[in-house]
Amino acid sequence: MTTETKQAALKKRQDNRFINKETQTAAKYLRRLKELSGAPDGIEPFYDTLERIYVDMQSADVPKGMKTIGTYCVMVPQELIYAAGAVPVKLCSGNYTAFSVGDEIVPRDACPLVKAVAGFKQTGLMPLYEDCSMMIVPITCDCKKKIAGMLSGECDLMTLHVPASRDDDDIDDYIAQMYDLIEKLEKVTGNEVTYETLSEGFRKVGYAQYELSEFIRLKKQTPYLVRGSHEMAILNSASYMPADKWGEALHKVNESLKERAKSGQTVTAKKLPRILLTGSPIVFPNMKIPLLIEEMGGIVAGDETCMGERGMWDPAVITDNSFDGIMRALANRSLRPCPCPTFADNKQRIYRLKQLISENQIQGVIYHVLRGCLVYDFEYKRIEEELGQLGIPVIRLESDYNEEDVEQLRIRIEAFIELIKLKQAPEKRTSVRTGF
Amino acid sequence: MGEYYIGLDGGSTYLKAALIGNGQVIDTMVRNTGIDNDGTARKLAGELCARNSLSPSDIGYIMATGYSRKVLEVADDDISEITAHAYGVRLTAPKEYRPGMIIDIGGQDSKIIYLDSNCGVKNFSMNDKCAAGTGKFMEVIAQILETTIDNVGPLSLEATNPCDINSTCVVFAQSEVISLVARKYDRRDILAGMHLSMARRIIKMMKKSEKGGDILMTGGGALNVGLHRAFEEELMKDVYVAAYPQFSGAIGAALIASERG
Repeated sequence: MTTETKQAALKKRQDNRFINKETQTAAKYLRRLKELSGAPDGIEPFYDTLERIYVDMQSADVPKGMKTIGTYCVMVPQELIYAAGAVPVKLCSGNYTAFSVGDEIVPRDACPLVKAVAGFKQTGLMPLYEDCSMMIVPITCDCKKKIAGMLSGECDLMTLHVPASRDDDDIDDYIAQMYDLIEKLEKVTGNEVTYETLSEGFRKVGYAQYELSEFIRLKKQTPYLVRGSHEMAILNSASYMPADKWGEALHKVNESLKERAKSGQTVTAKKLPRILLTGSPIVFPNMKIPLLIEEMGGIVAGDETCMGERGMWDPAVITDNSFDGIMRALANRSLRPCPCPTFADNKQRIYRLKQLISENQIQGVIYHVLRGCLVYDFEYKRIEEELGQLGIPVIRLESDYNEEDVEQLRIRIEAFIELIKLKQAPEKRTSVRTGF
Repeated sequence: MGEYYIGLDGGSTYLKAALIGNGQVIDTMVRNTGIDNDGTARKLAGELCARNSLSPSDIGYIMATGYSRKVLEVADDDISEITAHAYGVRLTAPKEYRPGMIIDIGGQDSKIIYLDSNCGVKNFSMNDKCAAGTGKFMEVIAQILETTIDNVGPLSLEATNPCDINSTCVVFAQSEVISLVARKYDRRDILAGMHLSMARRIIKMMKKSEKGGDILMTGGGALNVGLHRAFEEELMKDVYVAAYPQFSGAIGAALIASERG
C-alpha cells in the first residue's frame, strides 16, 4: 500500500468513527426526549428534523435547488435570506463529538459551541455545514470573532459588526450593513431582492413568529400543557427547517395543545417546581440540562435562551412601508430589544427575566453558563442580586460539551428543586408499615 | 401511625442510620455499606428498632439520602444530601449557632451549604470533582505517615512548626508529603500542614457574598480536631461543630421523614 492509500484508509476509519460517535450521541438524546412524558401531539416533524440532520446526517429539507445560508446568533434577519430565495440554517453547535475534535484546534478556554463548529468544519462530514453557500457571522464575542476568521478560509463568509450599544448611530450603521448583506446574498444566490420578495420573506417569518407566540401563550397555562424540554426541541429544529414549514408544524402542535387545554389533559397532575432556564445557548443534542431538570421533578416553565424561545420572539415593527422602512425595521429588531450579553448595557435582560418570572409564576432560576462563556458569566452576579430581592433563588450551573459532569449537574439540580419543593407543604404517608 | 422516624445516609463506604422521635435524636448506628446497599439498610433499620424496643409499625416514615439513596428500597422516599444536612443542623447545631454556613466534609466530597435564618437552604457549593478537601485526602496522607485517620487530628495539634503543603491535588500532595518525610520533617508538623491545606482548599469554595451567620462543621471531617483548628485559624473566626457530625445527613433525613409520617 502506498502512503497515500494508507492515509486515505486512515482518514476513512477516522471519519467513520466520528460519524458513529456523533450519530449515537444524537440518537441517545433524541430517545431521551421521546421518553420524557407529556410530549404534544404533532411533535414528530420536529423530532424528524433533528434526526435527519444529526442522526441520518442529511442536508436540511429545503425545496430542490434552493441554497442554504449558514447563520449564527439572532442578529441576522432571516427575512433577508428568504427574500434572496434561499433558506437560513443556524450553525451554532451543541455537538459533543464535534467539540472533542474542535478542542484540539481551538484554545482550551474557548467556549464549546465554537469548538464544536470548528470541529465540524475540520472533519468536513456534516452536510449542514458543507452545503452552505455562504456563512454570516455576527461578531458578538471574541470566540465568534476568531472563528469567523478561521472559517473565512474555508467558505464564503461575511461578518456583521454588532455594536456594543444601541444608539441611533449604531442602528444606522447596522442598517448600512443590512444593505451590504443584501448585495452579498444577491451575488451568492443569483436572485434579486425586491420589495415583493422582501415582503414574502416577512410573511414567512411572521407566520412562524405568530405560531410561536400562540405556542408560548398556551405554554404559560398551568397546570402545564407542555414541558420545557419539548419546547426547546421544537425551537431548536427551527434552525433546520424553512420558517413556513416550521410554522405549519407548530400550528398543528398548537391545535393539539388547545385540545389538551379543553379536555384538561395536562403534562402531570403534580405541582412541579417551575424553573426558568437562562444563559448560554442550549443546542441539540446538548439537552443535558433541561432533560435533567425535568427528569429530577421540575418543569422548565421559562426559557430565556437564544436557541430557545427568544430566538424568534421579537417581531419587526414596520412604521414605514417602503423598502428602506422595512430594512430599518429589521435592523432595529435585530438590536434594540435583544437581551444578548454582547451589549455593554443589558439591563433589559433583567426586565425580560422579571417579566417571564411573573408570567410563568417561576419559583427558581437556573443560570446556565457554558465553560468559557464570559459574557453570560459576567451578568450572573447582577441577575442573582436583582432576583434575590424578589425572593427568587438562582443557581449558576456551569457545563461543557461532554458527559463527565452529568452526575454533578444532577445533584445540584436535584438539590435546587428540593429547595423549591420544601417551601411548599409536604406529601404525607398514609399506610402502616409491617416489616423491613 | 408510627411516632418514630428513621433517616438513612447511604455513603459509598459507610451507611449511617438515625432514629428520631418527638423531635429528638434517640439513636444512631453505622455499618460498612458492603455490596448490598439495600440489605445493609434493612438490617440497620431492624437493629435500630430492636435496640430501642420498637416494632416496624412504630416507624412512621423512612427517608434516605446520600450516594445510594435511590436504591434503598426500604425507604419511603429520598432526598439530596444538601437538603438533608441543612435539616440535620436543626437538631445537631449548638444552641448559640446562628444559621449561616455549614461545611460538610465527607469521605468523597465536601460541600458548603448556605442557610437562611430558618435553616432553609439558600445556596450551596460542592466539590465533587476531585478528592482534595475530602476524607480521602486525609486517609491517603494518614497512611503515608503510618497512622490512622482517628489519630491525625490529635497528632496535628502537637505541631510546633506546620509545613507548607502546596499541592492541591491528592496525588501530587502524596508525593510532596513523601519528600517531606524523607527530609525528616516531624509528622505532626506535616499533619498540621495537611489540615491547613485542606481548610484553605475548602475555604476557596466559599462564596464571598454569603457572609451572614456562623460557621458549622458537619460530616466525618468534623470529628477531626486538627481540621477544626485549621479552619478557625484560616478564617480567624470561631467555628462550631455539630453534635453527631457523621450522622448529620441521616438525622436530617429522619427529620424530613417526620414531616411526612
